Amino acid sequence: MNAHIKKVYVPMTETAFYILLCLKKPNHGYGIVQRVEQMTDGAVRLTPGTMYGSLSKMEKDGLIQFIREEDKRKIYKITDLGSEVLQIELNRIARLYRNAQEEM
Amino acid sequence: METKKTFKIFTIYEYEKEQNYLRKMHQSGWKFVKVSGFGIYHFEECVPEDVIYQLDYNRDGIEHKAEYVRLFNDCGWEYLQDYVGYSYFRKPASQAEETEEIFCDDDSKLQMLERVYKGRILPLIVLFSCIFIPQLVNCIAHKAYILASLFGAVTCLYVAIFIMFALQYYRLKGR
Repeated sequence: MNAHIKKVYVPMTETAFYILLCLKKPNHGYGIVQRVEQMTDGAVRLTPGTMYGSLSKMEKDGLIQFIREEDKRKIYKITDLGSEVLQIELNRIARLYRNAQEEM
Repeated sequence: METKKTFKIFTIYEYEKEQNYLRKMHQSGWKFVKVSGFGIYHFEECVPEDVIYQLDYNRDGIEHKAEYVRLFNDCGWEYLQDYVGYSYFRKPASQAEETEEIFCDDDSKLQMLERVYKGRILPLIVLFSCIFIPQLVNCIAHKAYILASLFGAVTCLYVAIFIMFALQYYRLKGR
């Protein structure tokens, strides 16, 4: 993993985290918006400007890949690099949580 | 149906001001139709309504128009047009979440400003460094002061725009 990826995605935004998490299974931008809304009981609502920008950027950075188009919707899935970055982030969050539990 | 045109200049970094202007017009019964030429805004009379207007700057989106617009439509935003690299969207406030925008975090707002910088500001800086400033120096050297003051005025105007843009970027970054 190169320095650029580390700098941009470790730690990552909540938006980036949910996109990577959802793309464990192939999905399109709007599908991710709906899924995240469901997962968080409406607490996290992703918006199209943010979604489109994040998907293009993550594709360019090689974290996700375009698979096919369906009904004018671009379907993506996570790459090995994306999974690796997601795992690093998960470990970081787990450590945060663990430390908080111990201190509180 | 009654229509009207207004002349308004919003410089590169003033998209928030422009969004507010279009929203205010719609609230007072003037629905935005299009912007064309050099800052000519076209409106048609309508029932006053609170409608949120939003501008995005995304070249990649314009190049993949169908998929780009599809995502916004899916999320309930009506696509209106592109104008000098900006894409225009709107959504009635009654259908939107409170204070809904097309960007939901500061990171993606900053990324949009970075795209504006690369697409609009950087070419201007190159233009200035390669053409305007050498011309200005040339005019002064040849004692062509009227022309020099013209170049000087334009340079000052644009330097002000660059500074305002930078201020906006760092204000958002520091938030």
